[in-house]
Amino acid sequence: MTWIDGVDEVERRRERAKELGGEERVRRQHDAGRLTIRERLDALLDKDSFVEIGGLAGEGGDENFIPAGYVGGLGRIDGRDVAVGGEDFTVRGGSERDGRTKVHMLVAMATEYRVPLVLLHDGAGGNIENTIRRGYMQIPTWLNAAGEVGLTATVPVVAGVMGSVAGGPASRSMLSHWSIMPKDTADFFIAGPPVVKRAIGLDVTKKELGGSHVHVHTSGAIDNEGVDEFDCFRQIREFLSFMPRNVWELPPYSQPTDRPDRKEEGLLSIIPKNRRQPYNMRDLIRLVVDDGHFFELRPHYGKCLITAFARLDGHVVGVIANNPMSQGGALDGPGADKQVRFMELCDQFHIPIVYFVDVPGFMVGPDAENSAALRRGMRAFWMTYSITVPLLQVIVRRCYGVGSATTSRTDRLNLRIAWPSAEFGGIPIEGGVDAAFRRVIQEADDPDAKRVEIEETITRLRSPFLTAEALGVEDVFDPRETRPMLIRLLEAAQESRRSKLGPKARPGVRP
Amino acid sequence: MAVIEVRSETAGSIWRVYVAAGDTVAADHVLMILESMKMEIPISAPTAGRVTEILVSEGDPVSGNQIVALLEST
Repeated sequence: MTWIDGVDEVERRRERAKELGGEERVRRQHDAGRLTIRERLDALLDKDSFVEIGGLAGEGGDENFIPAGYVGGLGRIDGRDVAVGGEDFTVRGGSERDGRTKVHMLVAMATEYRVPLVLLHDGAGGNIENTIRRGYMQIPTWLNAAGEVGLTATVPVVAGVMGSVAGGPASRSMLSHWSIMPKDTADFFIAGPPVVKRAIGLDVTKKELGGSHVHVHTSGAIDNEGVDEFDCFRQIREFLSFMPRNVWELPPYSQPTDRPDRKEEGLLSIIPKNRRQPYNMRDLIRLVVDDGHFFELRPHYGKCLITAFARLDGHVVGVIANNPMSQGGALDGPGADKQVRFMELCDQFHIPIVYFVDVPGFMVGPDAENSAALRRGMRAFWMTYSITVPLLQVIVRRCYGVGSATTSRTDRLNLRIAWPSAEFGGIPIEGGVDAAFRRVIQEADDPDAKRVEIEETITRLRSPFLTAEALGVEDVFDPRETRPMLIRLLEAAQESRRSKLGPKARPGVRP
Repeated sequence: MAVIEVRSETAGSIWRVYVAAGDTVAADHVLMILESMKMEIPISAPTAGRVTEILVSEGDPVSGNQIVALLEST
């Protein structure tokens, strides 16, 4: 007498659950160029590491069992545990039933075990059928909302927008530190085309409304784009490789394969002598960081600014850099938003920041005014003054205006290292002279000559060496020394970072 | 053959135009230079093709995302 009959039943139900919504629906999912949730988990996680929990959930009883529209559990990425799951679109389009669901279990798991949460979304959330089943209307609530908001204060939360994602799952994917969607096979919106048609009478396709060109390239709602689902999984794994499991740990150190004392000749000539000529800031970053490798977050949004994770002598650093190829690096609304999101992320997980500065100031003109570039820019300034992780500044060229004050802070250790190509000022000389000396110039016998005379006087003051003499910048040095110098400074900060671990005073990272 | 719209990524003024309608260009070929925030920023061909129309002249102010040239991809 054993319980083998019960065990057989468990096995039978598990096998049924693995069939998802049935052959026909799985075929349709594949025809749409999409993987099923089980294929996604296989592709994302370390081989055979997935331990499903709640796999017997569903409905229909012994005879007509249909699995729940969600698969979740515990898995490993690069040997480290993650709570992971996602909607199964082949079962009722991945719609949720009422009450406590698997996603709440995963949130609790990530909270208690202090491990990252990775959600692979594919569904539209609530289903109107639920109302009929329930028999009454419900005030929209978010079960354990405080838990989900608070989760971003303690463990990394990653959202993959893998299929057609709207409503609840779309909203939930905003409560993450980082999100990604594949280029052609996913859509993301508040509500899909039928709702849009009824609400505002507009005919619009899913792609037009919520393709990656909208949300990765224009709105910035989703951070990164993958060429396909597999590329998304590769990027999720890479993102997590820079993250600690939680805020009580330092980010993962990996044995460096690059020399800490590497000095690149290329850094001596990367800044053009012609002040009006831009250059490739990404090449500059590559010359400094370990193995010339960095992982860029939001590469298609707020292009005036580059935000990336890299390593310096094996330690994770957040890299922020102005991009002179995009509006001369002037900080606009999207760029400022990007800085805020990235700084908050780095601060939350105790990742020091290196800021490569070449900024002429905030962006100007009608577009900048209409998009509140100054409010958004000052939010970046506010964030710079809120973070407590080490912040190192390398001024490679221009550092002008209040826009440049978002790159360092004066109320604590403020190590600003300038290259000989650096120039600073409250306002650029060109234009600034016209504004300040208008009357003097206008009243001169030869206004143009007068303007040139004043500009030349001020240009002589532009030398970074005069500023360094006054300790107006902490140091000026050989660009080739950048890598060893940054590594040395971060090494000194290492022990203090260890003693400052834990959550920040803020309630997580804002969506 | 697809018509490709070449857009100015940001506001500024056109400083130099290097190509004319009818020219054949390779991908990443610099079509014109935009002056923005005192920086000379190249506007390049997103793909190889033939220039069918140049919609701006040197000195013209342009806004962000304005179409500055049309290409016919090859």
